[in-house]
Amino acid sequence: MSETAFEDRVQSLRMIRDSAAAVMPADGGLGRVRALRFTLPGIDPAVWGSMGSMGWIGLRLPEEAGGIGLGMAEACALQEELGRALVPEPLVPGALSARLLAAAGDTALLPSLLAGENLVLTAWQQSADSLEAPGDPEAPRLFIPMAAAAGTVLLPVREGNGLALYAVEGTRATILKTQDGGHVGSLAPSLAGARRVAADVSAAMDLALDEAALGTAAYLLGLMERCFEMTLDYLRARQQFGKALGSFQALQHRAADLKIQIVLTRASVEGAAADLNAGAAGDARRALVSRAKARAAEAALRVTREAVQLHGAIGYTDEYDIGLFLRKAMVTANAFGSAALHRARYMRCAPGGQSV
Amino acid sequence: MSADLPLDELAALDEEAFRLHVREWIEGNYPLPVRHPTRRLHWHENKPWYMALSRKGWLAPGWPRDHGGMGLDATRQLIMLEEMERFGAARVNDMGLVMLGPMLIRYASEEQKRRFLPRILSGEDIWCQGYSEPNAGSDLAALRLDAADHGDHWILNGQKTWITLANDANWIFVLARTNKTGKKQEGISFLLLPMDSPGVSVRPIVNLDLHDEFCEVFFDNVRVPKDMVVGDVDKGWGYAKALLGFERIAIGSPKLSSNGLARLKQLAVSVGKDQDPAFLDSYARFSMELADLKALYEAYVERLKRGEAIGPDVSILKIVQTELFQRITDAMLEIAGGHAGLLEPMEDGLHPAGSFLLARPSTIFGGSSEILRNILARNVLDLPA
Ligand SMILES: Cc1cc2nc3c(=O)[nH]c(=O)nc-3n(C[C@H](O)[C@H](O)[C@H](O)COP(=O)(O)OP(=O)(O)OC[C@H]3O[C@@H](n4cnc5c(N)ncnc54)[C@H](O)[C@@H]3O)c2cc1C
Repeated sequence: MSETAFEDRVQSLRMIRDSAAAVMPADGGLGRVRALRFTLPGIDPAVWGSMGSMGWIGLRLPEEAGGIGLGMAEACALQEELGRALVPEPLVPGALSARLLAAAGDTALLPSLLAGENLVLTAWQQSADSLEAPGDPEAPRLFIPMAAAAGTVLLPVREGNGLALYAVEGTRATILKTQDGGHVGSLAPSLAGARRVAADVSAAMDLALDEAALGTAAYLLGLMERCFEMTLDYLRARQQFGKALGSFQALQHRAADLKIQIVLTRASVEGAAADLNAGAAGDARRALVSRAKARAAEAALRVTREAVQLHGAIGYTDEYDIGLFLRKAMVTANAFGSAALHRARYMRCAPGGQSV
Repeated sequence: MSADLPLDELAALDEEAFRLHVREWIEGNYPLPVRHPTRRLHWHENKPWYMALSRKGWLAPGWPRDHGGMGLDATRQLIMLEEMERFGAARVNDMGLVMLGPMLIRYASEEQKRRFLPRILSGEDIWCQGYSEPNAGSDLAALRLDAADHGDHWILNGQKTWITLANDANWIFVLARTNKTGKKQEGISFLLLPMDSPGVSVRPIVNLDLHDEFCEVFFDNVRVPKDMVVGDVDKGWGYAKALLGFERIAIGSPKLSSNGLARLKQLAVSVGKDQDPAFLDSYARFSMELADLKALYEAYVERLKRGEAIGPDVSILKIVQTELFQRITDAMLEIAGGHAGLLEPMEDGLHPAGSFLLARPSTIFGGSSEILRNILARNVLDLPA
């Protein structure tokens, strides 16, 4: 990369991070997040609207499709900021739907989705741990995040060799609450009243799921980083035995180990994003994404688990914020594929992966 | 339903017959609607089970017979525990049974034993443990609950916190400061008082699993008669530590890990990963670790039964159990996929998120894993401070 291209990139990442402040309270407080917990639809439509007006929902789409044409590095930087603030609005799933609609050349649903006026979610998942959309016409669709907030649901359905896409207005999902205060929906696929949007979105689906997995990894990165900062603050402030907890070497080593996990996660996520921007495709892309998502899922659970431990009993209360990070990680770590799923996929896709 | 065997005959049954007898009785007599709960039940929920065990005389398998216990050997205590777990019997409000009782049996006056032990076994008294304070957690000896001497009684002022199920208890045992001169470990006394003493108030705290399981307890000019001290005044630290030894054996019980492992296997079947080679390998590892834990636990229970002092090495047992349980529930989360984040149990009653959250604080209470490792390094391995 030339000097100016590099500076442009840094500038663009800084701008996107700064723009995230628009939906985040200046003091970093989690009051809004707490207020939305265990409510339905569980998101603030005004915040979803801001995400639209800032171009985030179509961040990756070309300008012709109504997007702003930024790369995966910017998408990940943004997700990281959202993860730091535990933002509940489902940008990753919304952007996935936007990708599919754009690939289908849809003009009916895409504009209002990109504007943040409608939330369109895609009911792709058929099993508890998955990163594939088989599109079985009969199979119930599971774990649709924040389904109660959706105005429209997209249903991928296998038809011959293609993966057709249908749009269903309204949601008839069965709702299950999640640990983070959000929810997931499941529904039986029904094409009654559905509109056929496209005959085949398999290629777009493939890419969109990978981008969603990487975006989720970036969200987890932000989440663990903020949680870690709060833990360091606590280790500096809390005294036992007449000293700050952070002065005990056993805890210093624990903090050092967590830092190592976070740095590795960042290297993995940012590396994958840069390579995707540079055109990594097919199995190369899958291997990169899987490496980042497996690392992020494991590291996020470890950092948030240990953060609670290092806080002692206060970390195990609902009124103290640190536990919100653990409970968000419990929900998000397996979204778009668990660490185990991604390890297995890495072995299938990485160069030389199949043989040991 | 199994015959009502006298204790002598029960204890004389061979292991297999004993196991079957216990199993049959639990199956026929467990009264609660819930099995395998992933949270501590409140007294109003578990009382029928406590009372059933009380009537049967099975509440205290490890207490000596002359104090109303079953006086079982370690192997049979472990069998009882395994059968309770196999069935998914809920844990009762057991602080009187597993912590205070054994401590009173060793250190209390005859008068105190006669007064308190039967009431634990009858379910009349439900105890809670008042040790921790906001600024005295790991550094327990820094506690400040003030006990001012007023001749024939003390007046307590101050606060305890994180007191498990204080909202269910009618009695509390506390560590209070009766003397402010000298080392902080000296000048602590072990006191007993009813929760309805004037000036005691309780504020439940919602925990990470959204239950009101632990509480703050405030003391505002609370009067405690002098005969409510256990052992010598100002020497409570020693008794407090002995009680922690009993608590660590209780937490070291393989109950939670073995229940967790059974649930992990069911979950693997439920999500179709039970034939996955990576799962099978970790399952084998956990199973073997659980067997090792049981062997270690049995050795400690045997020592307890022989009346041996429980030393600082009991830390090992507590670390092994709690960390195994945590790793088992970590594995649950990883294989559960989307179910890992659910707030309520799955349709088949499995609840990976609930198990995972239940496992979290076990490395914090009863001596955190970090503090226990410090104790091991210093008091068992004799490494320099
Ligand atoms: C669910 C639950 C139930 C409880 N029930 C009861 C109860 O019934 N009665 C009661 O009295 N108490 C109870 N407690 C309190 C428990 O005993 C304390 O939480 C524990 O002693 C730790 O104290 P703390 O929470 O203040 O953490 P802190 O002492 O502030 O410790 C915070 C972190 O620092 C670590 N740390 C502290 N000092 C050192 C050191 N020197 N070296 C290395 N690491 C260190 C700790 O291990 C921990 O990870 C309960 C706690 C929980 C979570």
